[in-house]
Amino acid sequence: MLWFILRRCGSAVLVLFLSSVLIFLGIRALPGDPASVMAGQEASPAAIEAIRKEFGLDKPLPAQYLDYVGQTLTGNFGRSTQDQLPVADILAERLPVTLELSLLAMLVAIVVGVGAGIVAAVRRGKFADYVATGFGLAGLSVPHFWLGLLGILLFAVTWRVLPASGYVPFTEDPAGNLQRMILPALVLGTGFAAILMRQTRSAMLGALSADYVRTARSKGLSEAKVVGAHALRNSLTTVVTVLGLQLGALISGAVVTEQIFVIPGFGKLTVDAVLTRNYPVIQAVVLVTVIGYVLVNLLVDIAYAFLNPRIRLSGGSRD
Amino acid sequence: MRPSPKVVAALVTLPLALAACGGGGTSNTPAAPSSIASASADHRPVKNGGTLNIALNADPDALDPSISTTLVGREVFANMCEKLYDIDASSTLIPQLAAAMPELSDGGRAVTIKLREGVKFNDGTALDAEAVKKSLDRHRTWEKSARQADLAAVSKVEVVDPATVKLTLTQPFTPLTAQLADRAGMIMSPKALDSEGDNFGAAPVCAGPFKFAGRTSGSQIVLEKSADYYDAAKVKLDKLVYKIIVDPNVRAANLKSGDVQVADQLATNTVAGVQSDPNLTVVSGGGLGYYGFQINIGNASGSTEKPGPIDTPLGKSPELREAFELALDRDAINKAVYNGLHEVDCYPVPLDSPYRPKDLTCPKRDLAKAKQLVQASGVPTPIPVTLATPNDAVNQRLAQVIQSMTKEAGFNVSVQTAEFVSVLEQGKAGKFDVLLSGWSGRVDPDGNLTNLVTTQGSNNYAGMSDPGIDDPIKQAAAETDTAKRAELYGSAMKKAAELRGVVYLYHNLYYLGMHKTVAGVQYFKDGLPRYVTAGFAA
Amino acid sequence: MPMAGLVLVVAFVLLALIGPLVTGDPAAQDYLATLAPPSGAHPMGTDDLGRDAFARIAHGAQVSLQAGVLSTLLAMVVGIPIGLVAGFYRRWLDPIVMRLVDVTLAFPFLVFAVGLAAIIGPSLKGVVLALGFSQLPAIIRITRGEVLAVREMDYVAAAIADGAGDGHIIFRYVLPNCASPLIVQATVAIPAAIIGESTLSFLGLGVQPPTPSWGVMLTTAQQYLSDAPWLAIWPGLMIALATLGFNLLGDGLRDVLDPRSHR
Repeated sequence: MLWFILRRCGSAVLVLFLSSVLIFLGIRALPGDPASVMAGQEASPAAIEAIRKEFGLDKPLPAQYLDYVGQTLTGNFGRSTQDQLPVADILAERLPVTLELSLLAMLVAIVVGVGAGIVAAVRRGKFADYVATGFGLAGLSVPHFWLGLLGILLFAVTWRVLPASGYVPFTEDPAGNLQRMILPALVLGTGFAAILMRQTRSAMLGALSADYVRTARSKGLSEAKVVGAHALRNSLTTVVTVLGLQLGALISGAVVTEQIFVIPGFGKLTVDAVLTRNYPVIQAVVLVTVIGYVLVNLLVDIAYAFLNPRIRLSGGSRD
Repeated sequence: MRPSPKVVAALVTLPLALAACGGGGTSNTPAAPSSIASASADHRPVKNGGTLNIALNADPDALDPSISTTLVGREVFANMCEKLYDIDASSTLIPQLAAAMPELSDGGRAVTIKLREGVKFNDGTALDAEAVKKSLDRHRTWEKSARQADLAAVSKVEVVDPATVKLTLTQPFTPLTAQLADRAGMIMSPKALDSEGDNFGAAPVCAGPFKFAGRTSGSQIVLEKSADYYDAAKVKLDKLVYKIIVDPNVRAANLKSGDVQVADQLATNTVAGVQSDPNLTVVSGGGLGYYGFQINIGNASGSTEKPGPIDTPLGKSPELREAFELALDRDAINKAVYNGLHEVDCYPVPLDSPYRPKDLTCPKRDLAKAKQLVQASGVPTPIPVTLATPNDAVNQRLAQVIQSMTKEAGFNVSVQTAEFVSVLEQGKAGKFDVLLSGWSGRVDPDGNLTNLVTTQGSNNYAGMSDPGIDDPIKQAAAETDTAKRAELYGSAMKKAAELRGVVYLYHNLYYLGMHKTVAGVQYFKDGLPRYVTAGFAA
Repeated sequence: MPMAGLVLVVAFVLLALIGPLVTGDPAAQDYLATLAPPSGAHPMGTDDLGRDAFARIAHGAQVSLQAGVLSTLLAMVVGIPIGLVAGFYRRWLDPIVMRLVDVTLAFPFLVFAVGLAAIIGPSLKGVVLALGFSQLPAIIRITRGEVLAVREMDYVAAAIADGAGDGHIIFRYVLPNCASPLIVQATVAIPAAIIGESTLSFLGLGVQPPTPSWGVMLTTAQQYLSDAPWLAIWPGLMIALATLGFNLLGDGLRDVLDPRSHR
């Protein structure tokens, strides 16, 4: 087990290294002279030159990369070119917002998706199955930014029961915070609920027809116990895997959701930073995202190995 | 409400301006619905205290007067960083941190400024001549300063006594007072400059009715009432909270829901909705700036480099450029894109500017002549033109209307959208045929011309270079007589209109949405709401 | 249900191919009839510049179809060879390729797309590249997985022992086995790309005006949500129906082609 974890950690470090190179080169491939963009519309050539020096943009690429890695490892992400605030502070402000949104969306996805998946599998071929399956397909097919627009149209414009957008920190106004987060979390959670529902249903169906479940049934265990204790437990691996794989999609989804509902989170920060060529922020944001993704997948791998010992023995990954 | 002088002035000049402009033959819609008051100074009594939540349409850049380049940044400065001079409701320059208008000597080469006495910065330190010198020197000599061009004429700043500074100029420069009424005239606390250095913008300290209290990146900026302000008794509000809400519909929605009490720069398609709400009111300001497009006629390798030939149909042929402009119907554009809420014009100075000669006229749409010019040029139609456009909804709408109007004259415009910063980059580098661009505007006409239309000006994306433009603008800057300056600017603008490096479409008016409970907001031609006397109506 | 999916997909393709021929000019502006509700002349109403929403829906279908099909083709053309090579030369190429796949997966797709749009400028080309790239990991993994599975089969192992060349093995045994999972993958990838295109266009990173795209139409609709709500209904509904069609079809195909999955 230890060997397995070490190996996965090693490959995670490799992925991080490759990503950092990619981020570094990718940002430098963006069009436009960063120094001149940072200096703004009214800047003189001398001001642009000064900024180029300040950010080390006049050095050769390998030197710039070493600077970047060195600064990152010491936790110094520099200052945002937009407002001169330290990037680390900005990250600390924005991350919790997106984490809250993502957790709420996950909660929606797990409650609705896993619940519907179980019901559909248990009541296979019955009315409830069709409803759940239909919901799953619809959830997969509807673009969630459209769902967001419809949500605003109905709840904020027509019925005026929820605020259209904006954000209040939970610590300042818990009720206001949740009021503003309901719609975004539902919108973001729907797609994942659909995916989870489909995966849970198919995993449950597999488990319900497996030998050990049949044995359990023949021993006279109650249906609830069969479903709960045996089938569901074995379907958990599926849920864990899907959650890990969907993390990237969740972040992309958060970008759009935050854009529609004007939530000052990580996703909006990312898009704004790219659009304004805020290099220190882009570098930090993408790196943090990649680290988050790699870490979560590492945890998923380990959790997976615990839930399903065969993986560990064969030493394989989820490829 | 008593009609302010400004409203009267607007009512008098508007019909004249429209008549001069021709109006494209469609109708004589006034620039703004008559129910929207322009520049406001409302005199209802105001109670003490309260927090005013204000929606800003964009995220300001660093709050450092030396390097800031955004209009939203100026909106915040207007309540936090006072300047040596200011403008009043009629766009007249008045002293602010200075005690009087500047005294000129040595044929205009020496400018003496007396300072208001007993003024303190918001950190409690004294604002004296030394502080003024430190700030002005930082503005004009710090390599990262964006104010260098504003103060280029100043060669030396001297402290005469604690309440007097003397500026020595290389040549007489009349627009200087107007520059000192903007960011170049903002005075920063020497103590804060010493401790914060280049990162002053993260924690700025100036002299003003409100002081900087905090900023959450991309989300909000908080100002608090300053105890050290020299006129603190006038200030009623405890706190200003600027919330950055970029989407215009969301801005309007937040105003309606009461999450903010003021929303700046309402999009023209949301003005009617705000106006019809019984709890809200809309006032208009602005008009100093302009919007239109630049045609690349000489920007071969960057706007500050030597101009060179441009090998595009529009770049080569003045006749085709004329045809392009004649294909446009400015009034129809104003209606289709902006709900008729801007002031149509074809020159860069405001319609009621004293520096605007009365004989300026705008061409009407003339499709027949446009087609004839296209045909005479011998260039095979449709003539390909690319139009670089910032990727927001309103600019895209404008681009598509231009596309459709010029198509009738034989042009095939392809719209190329990019983020705002990329479009600016393209403009500076000269990598465009036609590019939508505007200018927020300055009180002195020099600020709307020098950097924008003279040879190697940093914002002269078109690459115009003509002594008929450069010389009169230079002469006018050294001239103090208003009538003579108007004549010189008139001749430069007429020459520029023939060259068509910039085709002006309209002066942008700004619409400020407010709750009716908010009183005492000052909103002038510069479009910067001043909250020094504002508060909730008693 | 798969039949319903087929009907939807065929209807979508027909709309994309024939629609633009029968509807009017999607760029024709009429300033006197802006934001008009649905009527006889404009069955889906008009937008902020008085353009016929129905004509724009029909032309938008073309953009969606192109984005969906081209990006999937791109991912297959690039991904299948990579997957084959990785699976076939397990020892030294495979680890590198799989780590690169991990890196690709670790990059949030939208961040990548925003960057790409900034580099090559917003356009259909950029959209196809970004979407194609985002589908690569799945294609590579599927192909590689099939190679690994096929190599273990007795008759293939026997052929290898008999000294059959790599090329022979790939074309004779491996590729035919990849076909069905890849077809199933295409029915997942195309609708994902259709949603992806509309998302990118919605954010202003997709096709350029006046070319209508369903995503661009939704951007416009967002501004007039209270004045002209119908503008927000049609494009979203079209995206949902087209995507639903592919998903239903995919589910059906999976049952037939991929017996390992229990649906």
